[in-house]
Amino acid sequence: MARTMDTLYRWLTQIKLNKSPRLWAGFAIPGTVWLVVLFAIPFYAVACVAFGTIDPVFRDAVPQWNPLSWNFVQAQQIFTSLATGPLRGVAIRTVVYVVCAMSLSFVVGFPIAYFLARHAGKHKLLLLVLIIVPFWVNYLMRMLAWVNLLSVDGLFTRFMRNFGINYNWLDGSPITVILGLVYGYIPFLILPLYATLERLDWRLVDAARDLGANSRQAFRLVTLPMSKAGLVAAGILIALPMFGDYYTNDLLSRSPSTEMIGNQIDFFLNASSQPQNGALLVLALSLFLLLFMSFYLRSTRQQTRQVTR
Amino acid sequence: MLRRDFLRNLVITTGGVTLGGSLLAACGGSGTTTTVDGLSIGTPDNPIKLPVTTDAIADGLPSESGTLEILNWADYQNPESIAIFEEKFGCKVVTSIYDTEEAAIAKLRNGTFKPDLILGMTDTGLAKLIAADLLQPLNKSYIPNFQNVISGLRNPYYDLDSQYTVPYMIYGNGIGYRTDRIDKNAFAGNGYDTLWDSKFSGKLAVLDSYRDTLAMAMFRAGNFDGNTTDAAIIQKAGDDLIALREATNPKVDILAYQEMPAGNRDINFTWSGDLFTAIQYLPEGVSPDVLGFWYPEKTVAKNDFMCITKSAKAPVLAHQLINFLSDTDNALLNREYVGYQPALESITVDLLISSGTIPESLIDALVTPEKYEAGLAQVSLEPAVDALWLEQWTRFTAG
Repeated sequence: MARTMDTLYRWLTQIKLNKSPRLWAGFAIPGTVWLVVLFAIPFYAVACVAFGTIDPVFRDAVPQWNPLSWNFVQAQQIFTSLATGPLRGVAIRTVVYVVCAMSLSFVVGFPIAYFLARHAGKHKLLLLVLIIVPFWVNYLMRMLAWVNLLSVDGLFTRFMRNFGINYNWLDGSPITVILGLVYGYIPFLILPLYATLERLDWRLVDAARDLGANSRQAFRLVTLPMSKAGLVAAGILIALPMFGDYYTNDLLSRSPSTEMIGNQIDFFLNASSQPQNGALLVLALSLFLLLFMSFYLRSTRQQTRQVTR
Repeated sequence: MLRRDFLRNLVITTGGVTLGGSLLAACGGSGTTTTVDGLSIGTPDNPIKLPVTTDAIADGLPSESGTLEILNWADYQNPESIAIFEEKFGCKVVTSIYDTEEAAIAKLRNGTFKPDLILGMTDTGLAKLIAADLLQPLNKSYIPNFQNVISGLRNPYYDLDSQYTVPYMIYGNGIGYRTDRIDKNAFAGNGYDTLWDSKFSGKLAVLDSYRDTLAMAMFRAGNFDGNTTDAAIIQKAGDDLIALREATNPKVDILAYQEMPAGNRDINFTWSGDLFTAIQYLPEGVSPDVLGFWYPEKTVAKNDFMCITKSAKAPVLAHQLINFLSDTDNALLNREYVGYQPALESITVDLLISSGTIPESLIDALVTPEKYEAGLAQVSLEPAVDALWLEQWTRFTAG
């Protein structure tokens, strides 16, 4: 096996790029096929449902595969509702919850990633595994465990009563939903952040200190800018699923006062006679998330330019 | 042309009423019908005899050996009952689960589900099953226990002569409450008002079902048409639910059967059967008497039913299971697990209370034949009207 790999490596390194561009372009085929089959086509199908019609007898979505025949009447209603109607509150709430959960995740996750990368020494791997182990358990199971812990007679609620805190965590509280989002997604923030921080050239921080910067200044002027790419990537990584999340709210609140956009999508797709609305909300959410992705791409491109300059 | 295309084109070109009429004419049906966009839907005022496109199985056929495939809601049959049936008929029963009627019908139409027997469908689903020509008529000679069914349901408005269906469970909408926290007298006067009482904030829930919960708000306001097309009444129901939300920050789910026994909520607008299921979820040492139910004088009362698919591979076994579950003793055993109340005349309030399976505090949750008769029906709404209901529901749930 090792011999085969060695031969393959030698063969590949001997190939001149300019003489065999097709070979290198060929490496993009699996990824392209993957994207087309599992993203582009399903996304087009969602658009066809969103701009299609409803079966008058069975009330199913009838996709309109020809874009020239797409019907935009329902889309107009949904976007109006998002802008000025009942869905406006849900959209705003979703953004607020995700921003709060992201901020809290950074506050909790960054020091952990920083400690692991900089100060964990020979225990680094062990600590990393200890942080990740709880997250091997399925998301749903972890949330159900919290439902038990936070219920009126739950262990956590009883423990907090010892400190005079008698709070009904599951009464439809936004705090519980935000904490649930943080708990659910924080490992996806810690890991990429840790990977970024671990690769930092810490000699630059030492140089800053030698040149008179105190620890705060070194962090603010050297560490933080250098970890920007990791911060943005980690932020995007947790923000995207948070925006579409509905089961955290379903399990920890289920109150209209904490309804997120994902819950409305779930309702329209699974429990109403207007599945089109669900598909339209998916499109609206995707458009919104595209802004995040654009920001991420712009930021990475800028950083690449700075490095290569 | 597929039947579905035929139906759609007919609806678009001639309107649903003609379709209903033509279907009835084709089958020689005698009942009148209400059609909602091509679906033939019976109502208590306009019962319907459904069209028959195929013959029922012949009399006296032997039971098939092998597997009987069932499509059912989760936890809606007692595994013990099924095991007894398997032993008695030397077969294996395999169950697939559905969680909404719409999804189940879609999967039945596209062939994802190919069951012999469907349990738990309601009349709105029946109309679609018939339109898609998915059911076969029953041969009652295999179902002698049909005589046990509540008399008022032996000739139901949604399926005159019970050609396709045999009732399974009955239930009504009302308010479940914890008797250790709320006095029964709280429901004196307009009992629905209790749900708007801010002292239950954070300890109250309503059903995650836009038809049931909006109808509840309408009943509270004295409008007793749970299928109303009146935009003003629908709007008012939405406004009232928003007032309920502001006053009590309610949960909107279908978890009364878990959350009430766990003590997480004091009061819950729910289906009566959920309270019977809740008994099984009570923590050890807690008496079932902590569960109570207020059954409104005017409320929605419903039943679901069992039916056999046209493509059933084991139709005789399917008939046998319907007959088995309609037997009083078997139905009682099934009820022990399911919680809901079998639609059998022999399973009376006295029997359930005296056998100790249901506590006295839940006597009001039991649906008697009289309560069922007095119950209000829900039928499918036209898309435009349905959109009005959904709009108000979105106003409520969007917070």
